[in-house]
Amino acid sequence: MRWFPSFGFQRRKRELQEEIDAHLQMAFADRVARGETGEKARQAAAREFGNIPLVQDVTRDTWGQGWLEQLGRDIRYALRQLRKSPGFTIAATTMLAVAICANSTVFSWIDGTMLRPIPGARDTGDLVSLQRGERNFSPTPPFSYLDYRDLREQNHTFAGILAYHHDWITLTGGAQPQRVYIANVSANYFDVLGIKPVLGRFFLAEEESRPDAVPSVVLGYSLWKTRYASDPAIVGKSIEIARHPVTVIGVAPAEFVGAMPGIRQDLWVTLDPLGTDVWRMTHRSGGAVWLNVIGRLRPGVSRGQAAQNLDTLMHNIVAAYPDDHLGENRITLDPMWRSPFGANGYLAATLPILLAIAGLVLLLTCANVATLTLVRFVSRRRELAIRQSLGANRMQLVRQMVLEGVVLSIAAGAAAFVLTSWTSKTFAWFFPANAIPLTFNGSMDHKVVIGIAVSSLLAGMLCSALPSWRSSHAPAIEVLKAESASISGGSRNRKLLSALVVAQIALSLPLLLCSGLFLRTLRNLAAANPGFEQDHILTASVGTNIAGYSRDEEKVIRHKILDRLSALPGVKVASFTDWIPMTLSHKGEDAYPEGYAPHPHEALRVYHAEVAPRYFESLHIPILEGREFTPDDDEKAPRVLIVDQTAARRYWPGQDPLGKKLMVWGRPFTVVGVVRNSTHMSVNEAPEPMVYMSFFQQGYETIVQVETEGNPADLAPAVENAIHEIDTQLPVFDVRPMRESTQMASIFAVMQSALAGMFALIGLVLAVTGIYGVVAYRTQMRTHEIGVRMALGASRVDVLRLVLLQGLWLTGIGLALGLAFALGLTRFIARLLYGIGANDPVTVASVVMLLGAMSLLACYFPAHRAMRRNPVTAIREL
Amino acid sequence: MSEKDQYKNRVELLQGTLDMLILQTLQWGPQHGYGIVQALRLRSGDVLQVETGSLYPALHRLERQGWVQSERKQSESKQKARYYRITAKGKRQLASDLGRWERIVEAIGSVMYVKPKESES
Repeated sequence: MRWFPSFGFQRRKRELQEEIDAHLQMAFADRVARGETGEKARQAAAREFGNIPLVQDVTRDTWGQGWLEQLGRDIRYALRQLRKSPGFTIAATTMLAVAICANSTVFSWIDGTMLRPIPGARDTGDLVSLQRGERNFSPTPPFSYLDYRDLREQNHTFAGILAYHHDWITLTGGAQPQRVYIANVSANYFDVLGIKPVLGRFFLAEEESRPDAVPSVVLGYSLWKTRYASDPAIVGKSIEIARHPVTVIGVAPAEFVGAMPGIRQDLWVTLDPLGTDVWRMTHRSGGAVWLNVIGRLRPGVSRGQAAQNLDTLMHNIVAAYPDDHLGENRITLDPMWRSPFGANGYLAATLPILLAIAGLVLLLTCANVATLTLVRFVSRRRELAIRQSLGANRMQLVRQMVLEGVVLSIAAGAAAFVLTSWTSKTFAWFFPANAIPLTFNGSMDHKVVIGIAVSSLLAGMLCSALPSWRSSHAPAIEVLKAESASISGGSRNRKLLSALVVAQIALSLPLLLCSGLFLRTLRNLAAANPGFEQDHILTASVGTNIAGYSRDEEKVIRHKILDRLSALPGVKVASFTDWIPMTLSHKGEDAYPEGYAPHPHEALRVYHAEVAPRYFESLHIPILEGREFTPDDDEKAPRVLIVDQTAARRYWPGQDPLGKKLMVWGRPFTVVGVVRNSTHMSVNEAPEPMVYMSFFQQGYETIVQVETEGNPADLAPAVENAIHEIDTQLPVFDVRPMRESTQMASIFAVMQSALAGMFALIGLVLAVTGIYGVVAYRTQMRTHEIGVRMALGASRVDVLRLVLLQGLWLTGIGLALGLAFALGLTRFIARLLYGIGANDPVTVASVVMLLGAMSLLACYFPAHRAMRRNPVTAIREL
Repeated sequence: MSEKDQYKNRVELLQGTLDMLILQTLQWGPQHGYGIVQALRLRSGDVLQVETGSLYPALHRLERQGWVQSERKQSESKQKARYYRITAKGKRQLASDLGRWERIVEAIGSVMYVKPKESES
């Protein structure tokens, strides 16, 4: 009963009624026994008892539950009031629901990505991702196995440190080869994350690097479910990965998809499962730097302490192996919510800003609803005055009115909840088809529900507190005495109304400015020339390396592909590459000009890509000096390089780069050509030096790149067929036009401008309807006065000016405040803009003009209507 | 001032005494509200007329404080009613109320029966 006081309350009320009935009954019986007659006795008993409802009331007061009953009564009253003005109720609820939904949607995206970086892992707040060298927005794997092992074994600040490397691979041996994302992981991978297998076991410490161990694999839940039909006896069975038999030892739980935020790993093997990668396990530089590393801090250890600890250890490692650690080696630690490895680095730069913008929308909506509420309370001033004179005190009135706002906002919150459960899942829509196994979406868990509840309650209070406080002030007697035209709720209400309108304009200006800047950024990005042809290019990945073909087989297949594709009708040029620009991925390596002694802490990182002959021709990248690669630049020939302008200027300023040598992976490469700069990651990047290597010397992945005569998408089936004619088992995937792939480079700009644009549109509509409403309302209140003015000789233009000036005055103040506010805020989005300053005068001016013009229009309609009134009827109207 | 407030005030004025009277009445055996009113009237020779608006709040408050317990029973005349019974805690309270009452009566008495000689002269 303690937990359900309302049930107890109803029961006790009934019992009290019975008790009183019994009392009356007994009094009646006594009187009858004393000889009084029926009706008289009944009346006398009732008279003696007194006022029954009053007795009930004072008795109930002693129960200590009166407030609950009162609340119930207030809620019923609020509902009745809201039902009486359905227009207001629907409008306010809708506006609040949309605004709350805007917030909860963005928050659900943050919740599903940044706040749940590694689903299934224990205490992700204690996990940090390790980065070595200069801080980088999209780093390549930073550690070699030996460095990682030294850090893991010598530190005293981590409960555990794991390492992994992931890539595509093909599952063979079944009816259909299947391309999956595989991770090579340290043996403690699952332990550090705190994950328990649903079947079998995970790796043992001794399995990590022992080359003679039986190769074993842990399956991801969804792979186990789809490819192996949830076989409960899968543990101990052998499956084939890239034509090698491997034993299944366990299955990971359903929610766990891997340690890199936003990336799906399908299965896990040890770092060197076949014992064929001894080189990579025993070196510290070049291709042996291949591991991403995540650590779990010991309880009580801060990130700073841990970073210091690792820095000291790294310093010792560098001192012991200086040649393997040229350049910058500082260690930085990032919490997983903003880890630069995976999706969170990008999302952490975008989503919080969008949430802040959504917050502005909610504030703006509150101001708008508060305006409506105030007008509504003013029109109810008689009722309020009556209640006041009947003994309601001010607190009771305010509570009653605030409760109406809260009831509205609860309804809005419920609607937002329903909407959000759908919109939270729309996050994935922003990401076009691409070559990365992205797997993230918004999530709708208790945090989002609490967020909705809190924001809707706050919004409800905010909307109704000020208007209620103001309205509860009204001098009751005056209101009741003089229901005259002069009362438009008093000058205080007028001031509050004006302040609310000014606030709405001031809040919508930054929204419009942000969206304007984002939209222009998007346009600039789209219009920017990336330096290569995007429109008539089709690319397709061929999984030769991941399907277990030997080097010789691969070589033959590659040449066959090139021959067939070149002969295909509609193909102008066919070439290979192992990297596609502007797809959020890149490959990096340390590179030194021969004989060059780098300064301490100097990182000579270059981007690199391996490309086949005619690559530059197909992408229309001009060769400025030297030559392009030829089919003769194969593994038997000396290693050659083509550099871009940035690399040439950086390594050989003022000299002819041709014939110069660059050391990469400890081997000299001779420069044979220089090409024009082109975009690597996104058009707003700072240019990084790029070196191209010959595909037939260093190519790892096989990506076919053809220049087509017509629409590249039309040629996709033909290209796929041509490759399958060589070998039907060859996995072919990610067949898509270049234009589609490069969309990845601007998805965050698209996301920002789409949401900011939507929010700004909401803001504009709210602000304009807000000012329209207030001016129209005030003009209506002044109908009588305007009638008098016209009767005394004011012209229609005078009336028009009167009303317009009032609206313009408000607009002006709102714009001035909003401008100051907006210019203070745009600093925060400056980093996300491209080709435009944060205070771009053209954007600022056009936004101010748009808002000003819309407000003017909103004021014009009521002014026009006032002007057209017949003065005689206007005077009669009170 | 609403009627309700007047009631409340009366309850407050009577509170200590009324509680004591009710508890005392219940000392003689479990009783329902009507019975308590009748008992008090009889014992006081028709002087004390307890109002229901004071009685029922007091009974419910006493129950909340754990000084009385109530249960629904049939009366001798087959009338279903709520019977109140004094608890051990209630008996202790009655003893202390009575002590206080006696002290007050004594104190008031000693004020009232002092001959005001000075003022007469």
